[in-house]
Amino acid sequence: MIRRLFGSLIILISILFLPYWVYVPFLFLGIIFFPFFWEGILLALLIDFIHGAGVWGPSLLFTSFGFSALISLIILLPIRERLRTYA
Amino acid sequence: MNYLPKNKLKHSYFNRILILIIVFVLGAIVFSLIDSVIISSVSPLWKTENIVIKKFQNWNSIFDSQKKLWEENTFLKEKVSSLELTILALSGGKTQEEVLLELAGRKQRPDTVISTVLTRPPQSPYDSIVIDVGFRDSITLGAEVSLPEGPVLGLVSEVLPRSSKVKLFSSNGEETSAILERGNVPVTLVGSGGGNFKIALPQDVAIEEGDRILSADITGRLVAVVGEVNVSPTDSFKEVLAKSPTNIFSLRFVFVTP
Repeated sequence: MIRRLFGSLIILISILFLPYWVYVPFLFLGIIFFPFFWEGILLALLIDFIHGAGVWGPSLLFTSFGFSALISLIILLPIRERLRTYA
Repeated sequence: MNYLPKNKLKHSYFNRILILIIVFVLGAIVFSLIDSVIISSVSPLWKTENIVIKKFQNWNSIFDSQKKLWEENTFLKEKVSSLELTILALSGGKTQEEVLLELAGRKQRPDTVISTVLTRPPQSPYDSIVIDVGFRDSITLGAEVSLPEGPVLGLVSEVLPRSSKVKLFSSNGEETSAILERGNVPVTLVGSGGGNFKIALPQDVAIEEGDRILSADITGRLVAVVGEVNVSPTDSFKEVLAKSPTNIFSLRFVFVTP
């Protein structure tokens, strides 16, 4: 739990102060590393709302980091489950 | 070893997917309501970060060798004299332009606001910047953002009390009407991120590397410079790659014209 909190905090700080080529890989590593990392969606949405241009429409929604994080988590759900079952 | 029944497993997936979708929808709603609060509260930290980075750069320059400094000094002196010449060349044109605008009753608006850039690419993945002036400084949505030297960069896309978000013309997919200076050809600049643009032009339109692309409005300010022209003999169009006249990764100050 502490590792998860610490990871989220690092991603949050990097979103605020570091270049995107640092925080985007961190975020997706977090999504892969931590089980059911729903906080990743909120962190990805934070990227969209802080750094995005502020105009939200259907086309932007589907290309946003928030949406990508949601899809990644949904895809990872069964994969993680299978990895654990047969581990 | 106990295995979960298949139906139970599916049920658990759906529950989790539902939770994720709810988090996404609620997050999007909440962030859209509080993003101005977040930006306002983080702005002082961004300002501090800019100051610290500048201080660090100054401190770092102590370790530069004398030779490097001498070379840099010579280069800068040459650059200054070249820029002075450019300014002289432009000032005549500018006076003519001002006279023309005055005759046409279209004087340039003087109420320009200078602003510090708080975040810039690559901190932002979207080719957008956050500046430290907002509606308290009479900034409006759609206000034009330009460099102090003149080139136009983008438009204000969101106005907050003490800060604003600016969508650069080079944002991915952003289309901007412009004029190719050589031959006065109207073109549509399509942003492709990182301060770059793409233009599709018919094969017979003359264009060369270094050509200037100007804004389509009456002031005709510099928007981009042609970087590369890709011509395929089988294609009826040629692909032109243009770049922003400045390095958007090191923007510090911009002018905003409300």
